[in-house]
Amino acid sequence: MGEVIVITSGKGGVGKTTTTANIGAGLALLGKKVVLIDTDIGLRNLDVVMGLENRIVYDIVDVMEGACRLKQALIKDKRYEGLYLLPAAQTRDKNSITPPQMVKLCDELRREFDYILVDCPAGIEQGFKNAIAGADRAFVVTTPEVSAVRDADRIIGLLEANEIRSPKLLINRVRQDMVKRGDMMSIEDIIDILAIDLIGVVPDDENIIISTNRGEPAVTDNKSQAGQAYRNITKRVMGETVPLLDLNGSEGLLSKMKKLFGIKPA
Amino acid sequence: MEEGRGIVFKGNAEGLIIVIPQGYTPEEIMSETEAKVSAASRFFKGAKINVAYRGPKLSDEDEARLKAILDERSGAVIESFSRQEESDLPPKKAAPAAPSAGIRRFFTSDINEDSCKFIRSTVRGGTRVEYDGSIVVIGDVNPGGEIIASGNVIVLGTLRGMVHAGAAGNRDAFIYALSLKPTQIRIAEAIARRPDDSDDHVLTPEIATVKDGLIIVEPV
Ligand SMILES: Nc1ncnc2c1ncn2[C@@H]1O[C@H](COP(=O)(O)OP(=O)(O)O)[C@@H](O)[C@H]1O
Ligand SMILES: [Mg+2]
Repeated sequence: MGEVIVITSGKGGVGKTTTTANIGAGLALLGKKVVLIDTDIGLRNLDVVMGLENRIVYDIVDVMEGACRLKQALIKDKRYEGLYLLPAAQTRDKNSITPPQMVKLCDELRREFDYILVDCPAGIEQGFKNAIAGADRAFVVTTPEVSAVRDADRIIGLLEANEIRSPKLLINRVRQDMVKRGDMMSIEDIIDILAIDLIGVVPDDENIIISTNRGEPAVTDNKSQAGQAYRNITKRVMGETVPLLDLNGSEGLLSKMKKLFGIKPA
Repeated sequence: MEEGRGIVFKGNAEGLIIVIPQGYTPEEIMSETEAKVSAASRFFKGAKINVAYRGPKLSDEDEARLKAILDERSGAVIESFSRQEESDLPPKKAAPAAPSAGIRRFFTSDINEDSCKFIRSTVRGGTRVEYDGSIVVIGDVNPGGEIIASGNVIVLGTLRGMVHAGAAGNRDAFIYALSLKPTQIRIAEAIARRPDDSDDHVLTPEIATVKDGLIIVEPV
């Protein structure tokens, strides 16, 4: 039975879609059977990030409305064995599907796939409710900005209220030079406030923008630091213990690791 | 339960209720009320209040004695004095009083005895907890989280959000936190916000109270 993981954040533009694409491709590279569901109906872009836009025939709303079979709407990514995408509808809105429908969809996909990754839209309304409905676990994405951390906090509260226990935190777009100057919140500061376990830290990396524009997730790029971070995160998703990427490029890594993973939710 | 606690003073926005347990002799009632009123006189001073008592019916003579004790010892002007019948209604509303400073609200003198709500998790942004009594949070209160209590608020963690203690008007309420970095705190009608240049790394527990109408924060 597969596992349904929702990737959410509250705030827009912090890296949910990027994270979904990279973890998805990362898991497929490690031989897992993975499907990515874009629930950002009306503002779909997971297909673009995956470079699969021109192959869309049916979308998630068509599946829900019975206009096609689920199998017909799944787009197979030819580059990575075992990776599929269920795209969002672009000309509909978030109210076109309901949480019970999502639960049913996830249950169906669970039988076929090892991992079902749900890319959640920004906000806390209908789109969010749909995205979390069928989820077993949640990753909360934030950037080291006060407003993003506030929204992450709110989202964690809502996830807990919806019985999605112990969500994991992904901190994206960290710039170690800025943290050192005291111009950016540190990882410790963020964990201190959010009080949940970390799944990983991804540096701010221009390779992400390049790879996004090319439609090739950075996780496949061995030269990209963000790609390395996503490879590590992928392994952690599969239950391996992998030390945090050292964004300083120097020692002190082990002690930091212990500190970060030692923190338990209050 | 009220029994077994002796005579209890209950305050609310309208006035004061004296709860007398069953089985008290008039002498016990008089002496205990006198002691309590004297101890609490600084809360009553200069105010006008309506008083009611709950419990066994007193003779007219004892009622008059009780009122006399309140008149003499409380330092307040007792606008009315009556027995509250079975119904749980508060004493009747004070006559519309002179502007602001003239009105004072009433509370049990002993805020150290109060019902209490415990919260055993982080109060995250977007969560609001209200309680008629005191609130203890075992965890943090994050920015955007709100705690509103008529009594005291104790945060056994970091307070980063908003707390209103003494929310019904009690200026004797306090706010205590292991780490006090709130967006804003309020006690009764006093409001304090975090200084823009505040030091984020205070690691000692602190307590906020009201002195001369202003909120002051001190290490404990
Ligand atoms: N680690 C990163 N480094 C640099 N740019 C990033 C990084 N993560 C995301 N971005 C960029 O930020 C923008 C928003 O990312 P996206 O994944 O679409 O966010 P969301 O889905 O949360 O709205 C995109 O342009 C993306 O390329
Ligand atoms: Mg997105």
